[in-house]
Formats: sequence, structure tokens, C-alpha cells
Amino acid sequence: MYLIEKNNVMKLAEELAKSYSLYGPVTDKETKQVFFNKVASASEISLTAEIPSIPPKTVVFPQIERILEYKYDKGSKKVEMNADFDTSSKALFGIRPCDLTGILVLDRFFMGLEFVDDVYLEHRKRMFIVSNTCTVPFKQCFCVCTDSGPVAEEGYDLNLTDLGDVYLVEAGSDKGREFAEKMGLQKAGPEHTLEKKNAVDKSISLFEKLATDNKAWISRVMNRVTTGFIKEEVWEHIGKQCFECGACTFVCPTCSCFNVEDHNKFSGSTDRLRTWDSCSFEGYTKMAGDHNPRHPVEDRRNKRFFCKLSYSQSKKYLRPGCVGCGRCQWVCPGDIGLPNVVTYIRREITE
Amino acid sequence: MDYKSGVCNFCGTGCGNYLNIQDGKVSGVFSSRNHPVSKGRLCVRGWHFHELLMTDHRISSPMIKVDGNFKNVSYDEAISFMMEKMAKYSSDASESTAFLASPRSSNENNYLFAKLARSVFKTNNITLDSESGHRSSMNVLGEGAGFPGMTGSLEDISKTKFILIVGSDITKMNPIIGSEIHKAQMAGTKVVTISSRVTQIARLSNVHLQIKPGSKRSLLAALAKAVIDTDQLDTDFVTASTDGYDGFASSVNRFNMADVLSLTGIDSDTIKQIAGELCSAESAMAFWSTGISGLDQDTVSYIYNLLLFAGKIGKENCGANPITGICNLQGGYDMGTAPDLLTGFQKLSDADAAAKFEKSWGVKLNKDSGKDLYKMLADKNSKLKCLVAADHDEGIIKYSKEIEALEFVVYFGTFENPFMKFADVVFPIAGVIEDEGTYTNTERRVQLSRKRVEPFENVMPGWKLFPMIAAKASLTWKYSSAEDVFKEITSLTPSYSGMTYEKIEKSFGLQWPCNDKYPEGCKRLDGASIGRKFKFAPVTENFTIHSATADYPILLIASQGQHFWHQNNIMKKTYIPKREYNATLLVYPKGYIEICKEDADKLQVREHWNVKIVSSHGSMIVAVKISEDVKAGTAYVPYFIREMISSFLLEHNQEFDKGEDTIIPIRIERI
Repeated sequence: MYLIEKNNVMKLAEELAKSYSLYGPVTDKETKQVFFNKVASASEISLTAEIPSIPPKTVVFPQIERILEYKYDKGSKKVEMNADFDTSSKALFGIRPCDLTGILVLDRFFMGLEFVDDVYLEHRKRMFIVSNTCTVPFKQCFCVCTDSGPVAEEGYDLNLTDLGDVYLVEAGSDKGREFAEKMGLQKAGPEHTLEKKNAVDKSISLFEKLATDNKAWISRVMNRVTTGFIKEEVWEHIGKQCFECGACTFVCPTCSCFNVEDHNKFSGSTDRLRTWDSCSFEGYTKMAGDHNPRHPVEDRRNKRFFCKLSYSQSKKYLRPGCVGCGRCQWVCPGDIGLPNVVTYIRREITE
Repeated sequence: MDYKSGVCNFCGTGCGNYLNIQDGKVSGVFSSRNHPVSKGRLCVRGWHFHELLMTDHRISSPMIKVDGNFKNVSYDEAISFMMEKMAKYSSDASESTAFLASPRSSNENNYLFAKLARSVFKTNNITLDSESGHRSSMNVLGEGAGFPGMTGSLEDISKTKFILIVGSDITKMNPIIGSEIHKAQMAGTKVVTISSRVTQIARLSNVHLQIKPGSKRSLLAALAKAVIDTDQLDTDFVTASTDGYDGFASSVNRFNMADVLSLTGIDSDTIKQIAGELCSAESAMAFWSTGISGLDQDTVSYIYNLLLFAGKIGKENCGANPITGICNLQGGYDMGTAPDLLTGFQKLSDADAAAKFEKSWGVKLNKDSGKDLYKMLADKNSKLKCLVAADHDEGIIKYSKEIEALEFVVYFGTFENPFMKFADVVFPIAGVIEDEGTYTNTERRVQLSRKRVEPFENVMPGWKLFPMIAAKASLTWKYSSAEDVFKEITSLTPSYSGMTYEKIEKSFGLQWPCNDKYPEGCKRLDGASIGRKFKFAPVTENFTIHSATADYPILLIASQGQHFWHQNNIMKKTYIPKREYNATLLVYPKGYIEICKEDADKLQVREHWNVKIVSSHGSMIVAVKISEDVKAGTAYVPYFIREMISSFLLEHNQEFDKGEDTIIPIRIERI
């Protein structure tokens, strides 16, 4: 464990920028919206900015990305293929614990099973992650209910915790430790460990006011979803509010559904693209002959909540699929962000 | 940072977004949390805007048709060719030449397009496409309230206490407005929807009045009658602030309440209750769709008059709110792309206004109102020879045979589309985000879409291309940016006079009127400030509805759907919305007709069976889809199959022009 003065903390980012493409939370000057995005200079990053509107999953799983380029020559009937995808080394600076958890879930999906996704692996292979403890929760947060915050437990190379004048810097990997040593960071003592614990405890205590009834019910609701005891009417109430826009999946740090499309370019070659997709779309689950295991919209909706909240699904990710970031609530044109769904199910349980 | 703020370019809601621009290319889109309209939301179309912007199905070079095939030429060659061909129509331009403007073009491009028509080609035959219902709404609100635009504001939806939705499938057509209404309903606003089919918004409403097809006007008249009968009229307001009450009241009084159940399917007690709730609510709004799925002027007049009865016009959190289906439908009218209008709804026949334009443009204008293109195409004796069209990204091409028969057609556009095949000369034009441009959403909000990428294959922006054409006619139009065009617009348009690009950008857009009186724009029509009384709109007393006959026992209604928005020339260029459309197409290659279980049993047909739909004009074969959303005796088709539109629906041109009130009596035959 190390310490770094607050006014020096960005030196870590500056140093990382020498060997990595640097990503972090950035505030748009015109509109004040926060993004997690690539920066040209470390000075653009803000460690105090609110939770980014777009999850950092875009770094490892972009909205649209080329996974292959090919060109077919009609004359010779030959195809020239070029597996040209992003292989840059990336550093994520200031990622929040919930979003880091999201990336760990995506790791299980793209790399943790039999098939390892090369494109995803390239993004992750040389990645350096600096996480940032949330000493104050943001108003839509409920990570304490989903075991994904307010402090990161794993998956980081370095973790920062704001202790007032200094940041406590914890190394979570050999790569992180070497980097801290190289930067000549001052060693921290046991009193700092205690200070961190106090900071985290205080943060957790602040959730009580935010995590009113609905969020605290997540484990009960998981039990209910897993055992399938939820009435059809509840799913219908949720389903009729679904506008089928896909936003909840797009902003979810753990949603991994994708589609593959060929984009024929004006130049004559073709890009094979991977794009985000969503289980809320009818065409996503449709099969030949109009068979659709999830035809009514409520079935497609509850598929998503099974994915996030059922035990069988959680076994795959080794944790719940929801990380408690609250973004789905921001973007939903209906009123069925995950916390609200929990509320609807809670109402059914209590009535 | 790669995310640049912008405005969504599909429907008339005008949601805020961010585009992810990497290495000069678009590679993603994200919603805008602080945007006053969308507040972090986008619909399925908006979430895939980047896919459309990435498409290579673009017009890449000026082309002229030689022996039936297009040949790439330089801008100069194409313009010379166009001018040479069009010269022979110049002596008779007001009969021979027409312009078809687009609700997808920016204000700047629409303004220049109209300027080109009036000052270079001397014709006032300018028509804004897909507009049938919107002009009617503008007429009613312009004449009645002196305010040709939505009188309320989208931001006020969350604050109003009563919402009446007339007919619109709003969660599909303008989903974010639908979302705002839904959220208001969840927070306690009473929402009443009038439609013949159970739509999503009908399910999300407190009350759905599932009326018989074609009876909207009767229902609205019944509501107005109930206001009088139950003595709920806002007498103070009506006396002090309106003119023409007697006329409307006498029309309404001629409505016989005893007929209401048989005409509309709704009983009079329900109607009285809704009327009472509308009147006693502290504030109320009405919404209806305009554009090609809009309502006719008479129905819009009834909606507006009903709100006047209830005293819900020109007050806080109230509004008569037409909803535009396309990004710049309102702006198209604001720019004067109509036979009789200059910018900002100034009348061409107004001598002072016309003189102002003559001075600015340095030409003499023809003050006689022009003609509507579609009326000219429908008229067998028309002398129309030449058509100039822009951004016609609709799958439906009305009067395609007549357009094909014209002598000369010019097309300006961004995307490849079926309209191009009619053209003799084609000009590419830089698309949205390849050029600066303003777009006016359904609540009069003028928003700036910045240039974020270089134009595809170096095609020209409108502010460069249109002056090149004017220059061939020896007119000098001096612009060095779209902003210069906008400055000229604001100098000529009282309702836009207080706007600048800088001011618009700082505030997520400005709602017109924006001038000395309203320097920061105007959220809603303020009754106290209009300087005159509201006028009741004239209405007919025609309450007859289409009735089924023994030969044609079922009434067919038609509408658009979410993924087949605007018949897909635009949607087909995306990936996910196209996939969704194809998923429907795969199962229903010829389209489908929704009927209820009861009718299906009576006809002895099952889900997916092909049936023959027969009307007095023709027939088509489609698959059956059994649905709980329509009542017995009513059938519904979403139109997304070209053959279905061209070989069947367009045969009912007069009916089809009624937009949402298209009703075709049919019978269904087993095959």
C-alpha cells in the first residue's frame, strides 16, 4: 500500500499515458455530461466527476467495432482477409467499482468459457486498470445491494481511495506494484488502512438514505425470480411499459449481446462489424418460421431480468448480473429500470 | 473526447444526442442527459442513428441520365445541363415547373431551395412533402390563435394535469414524447386516448376510448356537446378571450347525443365524464400526429375548439399540440416551402413582406400563390413538365406514373433512394453532420446540428451548391457558410429574428418566436400577449362515418409502425432497425392484416393464412395476424410492403390522403 498527495495523483495517469492509450471520466464542457472515454491528455480526466453516463464497457466492447476486413476479387474469385482490429494497449484511469465489476462479468462471458473471443482478448490483454473508491455514493447508486461497491475488491492493478489530502494507493497485481514502485510512491501504514475502512463504512452508511425500500430488496427478489414465483400480471405490467428501444442493454456494464453485420464500403472492401444488440428486440430472438420463444414483449423483458437477477444466470458470472450502477433507470422511456422492477416485484411479495 | 453533442435527425421530437467521432468517422451514438426534451432517452431509431450515418449507400457524384443510365459528371456540367433543359420552361414556369421540398432538409437548405424556386426559376409551385396533416394543423392554429405551431411545450407535459391523445400511435411514431406522457401518467396526470386500435399508449392510458373507425370527429363533437350540456363551459374565458363561440356552439348543438353510441361505440355517460374531467382539470393538453399520418383540418378544428371550450389554450401547462413525424416538418413550413408562404408564415400575398424579400433577394417576385404539386399531378389537364425535388427519402412515391411521365426531373439528395430513377439529373448534397444546419422540432425548438465529419466523397453542402445554380442565372448569392444563410433567414423572419447559432447552441435550441419581445424564445403561447381574441375554427357538421355494407363488412385502417418508419428508405440503411424490419418481413413477406379472433373464426381462417382483401377499388393478398388490438368489424394493416402500398392502398388515393383517418371498407376472402 502506498500514498500519493492529491495534487500529484494525475502524475500516475500522465505516466501511464506514455505506454498506454489513456481512458477515464471526462466532463463535456458544453453540457456537463460525463463520459468514460479516450483522452488526449491526462488533464482531461476528473476523479471527482459523477459516475459516467456511458459505462467503460465501451472500451472493451464498443458500440460498433470492426473485427475483420475482407475484399472479394470477382476476377480471380479470391478473398483477401485481414483480421484488422484494435490491438492498442489501454489504461483505464478512475474506473468506478461497479463498472470494474461489469468488466469482470464481461470477462467471464467473452473469455471465461470454452470459446475465447480474440477481439475482446486483445482489448483486455495488456490493460492497466486504476479503480477509484466511491467515498460518496451518487444518487441512483445501489452497488451495496449487488456486491459491487463502493470499493473494488478485485480486478484492478491499482485502487485509489480518497483520504482527504492524500489518496491511498493499493496494488492489486504485480504489474500495479511494479508501477507504484517505479513511481517511487511513499509507503502507507496500518493507520491508513483504518482510514480507508472508515471512509468506506461512511460511504456505505450514506446508501441507507438512497437505497430506500426497493434496492434493499434485491436479494429477496433474486430468490423470487429464480424460483419463478412471480405472477404473470407483474411481468405484463413491466412488459407494457417497454418501448423496445434497447437503451437498458446499451448502458448496462454487464450486457454482452451483440450482432454481426457486413458493411460494404464505397471503396469496394467490406468491414465485418460487431454491434451492440438487445434481448428486448423482437428480431433478436426470432427464429425461422415465426417461431419466437420470447414473442410477447413481456417475455423479452423478463428475459433481461432473469439474466440480471436469477441464480442460474449468476452461477455463470459468479455473481449477480446487475452491478447497481442505476444507469438503466436514467435512460428508460418506460419506468422499468432495474430498481423499479425490483419495486414492482417487492410490491407483489408484500401484498 | 470522442463524444460530440448533436440532435437526432429522425422524427420531429428533436432529442439530444452525442455522436462518437473517431478518426473523422462516426462510430457510435449516446443519449444526452441534460437535453430538455429527451433527458437521457432515445428510441430504437435514435440509438442506431450512427448506423445510418455510416452508410455508404450515398449519392457520391453529380450525375446526368444518358440513354437511361446515369453518368458521373462534374458539378459544372450537371448545372449547365439542368439550366439548359429548364430554360425552355421558363416562359411558363408557374404552370410548367414545380418544386418538391423535404421535411428532412435543414432550415438553411429548405430556405435556399425555396429561394431557388421563386427567384431563379420564377415558380411558386412549392410543396413540402409528407405534409398533409401538418399544414391543416398550422392553418387551424394560425388562424385561430395567431400561432402556427404547437401552442404548448414538451417540457410542460410532466406538469399538465390532463392529456388527450387523438389517434396517434405515439409511442411508436414519437417514442420519447410517448415516454414523457407515460411518465406524467405515472405521476398522476389523467391520460385519455382516442383510437380505433389498442396501441401501446392506449394500454398506458387511464382511459382508452376505442372508437369505431372514422368517428374521431363525432367523438370530439360529443365531448364538446357534453361540455355545454353539463354546463362546464369556461364561460369567463370564452366571453373575454374568444370570438366565434356561437358558430361552433350551433354546430355542436346539432350533434345528437342519442346517436353517440351507434356512431362512435362510446356511451354518453363516459363522454360526459371525460368532458367534465377535461374542463375541471387545472391544465390540459391535446396531442395529435401530423404529416402523412395526420388528421384532416376539420378534426383538428374540433380538437382546438374543444380546448377553447375548456379554457385550455394560451395558459400555463396547456397546449394544442400537433406532433410532427419528421425532423424538420415544422421547419419546412417556417422556411416557406409552400405555394403561398414566405418564411415564418408570412404570406406571399402580403405586399410588405414580399417587398422585403424582393429587396433582399434583388429580384421581382411573382405574388400569385402557386399550386400544390400533388394536385397538379392529379390534374389530367395540368401543364406540368418539370419537377425539382429534394431529399425524397420516403418509400411511398405518390403519383409515380405521373412523375415518370414528366419531361424533366432534377433531384438533390444525400442518400440513394427509389426516387432517383425518375431523375434526369442528380446532385449529391452533404448530409446532416457533414454541414452545419438548424432543424425545428415539433415544439418550435430550433436546434443546431454542427458539422462533425467531412462530406462523403467531398460532396458539396447546400450553401455552396445552390448559389452555383443561381450564379448560372446571373444572380449573386454570397454565403461562406450555412450560418450566413441562417443570418439571412433571421433578417427576413420576425419569429426567428432573435436567433443566432451561438445563442441556439448555448441553450439546447430556442423555441420561436424568438425576437425582441421573447429574446430567449417562447416556451408556450401566452394568451395574454397575443393582442387579440382567440377565434373558434370553422367546422363542418358532417358526422357521417364509413359504414360497413353487406359487400364490404369490415373497415380497414392503415398505419405506419416503428421499424418500418417512413417506409424504410432510411431504416434500410441501418443494421439493427433493418434486422427488426426483416424479422417481420421474413414471416409476413406480403404484409399482414390484423383481425380479431371472432372475425377470424367467422371467416374460418387461421394465423398466417393468406387471404384476399377485396375493396371496391382492388384487391391484395396478405397474411392473417390474429390480434386482440382490433375489435370485430375492424381490420388493421401496417403499410411497409411496397406492393401493398402501390398496388392497393394508393389505388385509394383520396382515402389514403386522409392519413390516420384512412378507412377502406373491405371484405376478406379465403383463398
